[in-house]
Amino acid sequence: MATYKARLKEFDAALSAEEVDLRKLKDLCFHGIPDEQGTRALCWKLLLNYLPAHRSTWSQILNQKRDLYKQFIEEMVIPPGEVKDDEESCRTDVTCADHPLSSNPDSLWQAFFRDNEVLLQIDKDVRRLCPDISFFQQATEAPCLKVVNSRGLRRLHRRVQHTVLNSANVERRGLGITKIALLVKKAQEDYAPMAEGSEAHWEVVERILFLYAKLNPGQGYVQGMNEIVGPIYYCFASNPDAEWRKHAEADCFFCFTNLMAEIRDFFIKSLDEAECGINNMMSRLSEQLRLFDQPVHSRLQQLELRPQYYSFRWLTLLLSQEFPLPDVLRIWDSLFADDNRFSFLIHICCAMIVLLREDLLAGDFPANVKLLQNFPPMDIAVVLRKAAKLSGRRNSDCH
Amino acid sequence: MAKKTYDLLFKLLLIGDSGVGKTSILFRFSDDAFTSTFISTIGIDFKIKTVELRGKKIKLQIWDTAGQERFHTITTSYYRGAMGIMLVYDVTDERSFENIVKWLRNIDEHANEDVEKMILGNKCDIDGKRAVSKERGEAIAREYGVPFLETSAKANTNIDKAFNDLATAILDKFAGKEPGDAPDRVMVDPRRGDTSRRSCC
Repeated sequence: MATYKARLKEFDAALSAEEVDLRKLKDLCFHGIPDEQGTRALCWKLLLNYLPAHRSTWSQILNQKRDLYKQFIEEMVIPPGEVKDDEESCRTDVTCADHPLSSNPDSLWQAFFRDNEVLLQIDKDVRRLCPDISFFQQATEAPCLKVVNSRGLRRLHRRVQHTVLNSANVERRGLGITKIALLVKKAQEDYAPMAEGSEAHWEVVERILFLYAKLNPGQGYVQGMNEIVGPIYYCFASNPDAEWRKHAEADCFFCFTNLMAEIRDFFIKSLDEAECGINNMMSRLSEQLRLFDQPVHSRLQQLELRPQYYSFRWLTLLLSQEFPLPDVLRIWDSLFADDNRFSFLIHICCAMIVLLREDLLAGDFPANVKLLQNFPPMDIAVVLRKAAKLSGRRNSDCH
Repeated sequence: MAKKTYDLLFKLLLIGDSGVGKTSILFRFSDDAFTSTFISTIGIDFKIKTVELRGKKIKLQIWDTAGQERFHTITTSYYRGAMGIMLVYDVTDERSFENIVKWLRNIDEHANEDVEKMILGNKCDIDGKRAVSKERGEAIAREYGVPFLETSAKANTNIDKAFNDLATAILDKFAGKEPGDAPDRVMVDPRRGDTSRRSCC
């Protein structure tokens, strides 16, 4: 306990300095950031280059970024044709203006329908985000007022909602009695949209991903990005400090964007073969396994159990689907503090395999694929200690 | 190697648009359970189930794939080794049905010529939101000469039947073509697609 208190103090000291010593902060974060006082959220903002080292500049930068985000929402979330709040009275002649059937390639409506394709995929995935915890299904305290008070019009999922015609069975019985059986079976939806005035966390994440896709059209949205934004958003939106919490959406958007700048190549198919692409990461992992545990490496080779059967997901998602959320947060402390992004990720993956060596050496192909695709519950400190050891870091006492 | 607990090994593959319920179908079949909240599949997932057909124990090795285009380079490498492919659409999602043709083309390009196929229209328990009628499903299946079933992973409708039918079709062909052949010679290497190499799984 004493050492934990001492660590908290160390973090406090490092973070309250007029100019944060990033080198020192990274060393501290590598061994795990305390869960208390929103320390993790603040450290991640620094590690992901959202906040600069100079404290004095923080408020100005935060204001600037948060304003910019507000602007993004106004420009990209509010659908075309909608009367702006302040010009409600002046109606224009619709015949010469933009309209949904316009074939003009510059038509805002054309773009609107193109965006809905992207949105369709995002919508499917944010409703499948971290289903083992209820956090994302709960209402946020900081809903985007422009969106939630729009009679549903600006809610992104509304744009891709399925509409159907309902039919009824009409039964005629004796005595002229007609029975209309309208089948309305409605299952309780966990990721149900909220009422006017409020929105769930998953709806916020949907907006973040949509804006990211709009601003990065070359890449768009790729499945799995939801799993990258999820932990960051969770960390920011559960900050005990209400002021930080209020801006979780905007802050998360920029941190996610910065993180994606470093790992986006994993998500781009055409870069699979490139040096920065996912295939190279998988080869590096395989090569490292060969160095550290030759027998396991040969066993997997002999079984023709290829790295892409398990490590494609491990690496692309920074292990976010392999461990429970608290462990993922802990892993990401080390990853974000890693100067050589993301060589420590490869060390963790390698450690995971080595820790299963007895089972892997004994198991056949199906048993081993299953084991690697469903990593067994394990103390995350053990995994990280092993990884630190493999990476040759001197101080391997991970917390 | 441990003693064999099965007579034949069939490799199956589940493909189709994202969100049509591939993982749920597989989960229902392998664990006889359903949950409406699954994380999205990234890359490829794997399950095993042993069934008995005509007195033979058949081990089904089933690969579940991610639906989005980005993952196709990864998932198509599994087509070659597959002996049966389940092509899934969602009866409440018109688009996923229209894409069936695209998926069939994918199979033609990447899978073995004699791979057994089956089309599944999933989520048939959802009455209120149906967008694709059973007749349309049957029509496209007839057009391409592929067996068809409407399924519901949630209500457990036709899930076992789907896998059994597909496995039976493979078994029929196998029995007709290579009588008396050693069981593990049907193993197909996922990359090269040659049927001659032995494998130990």
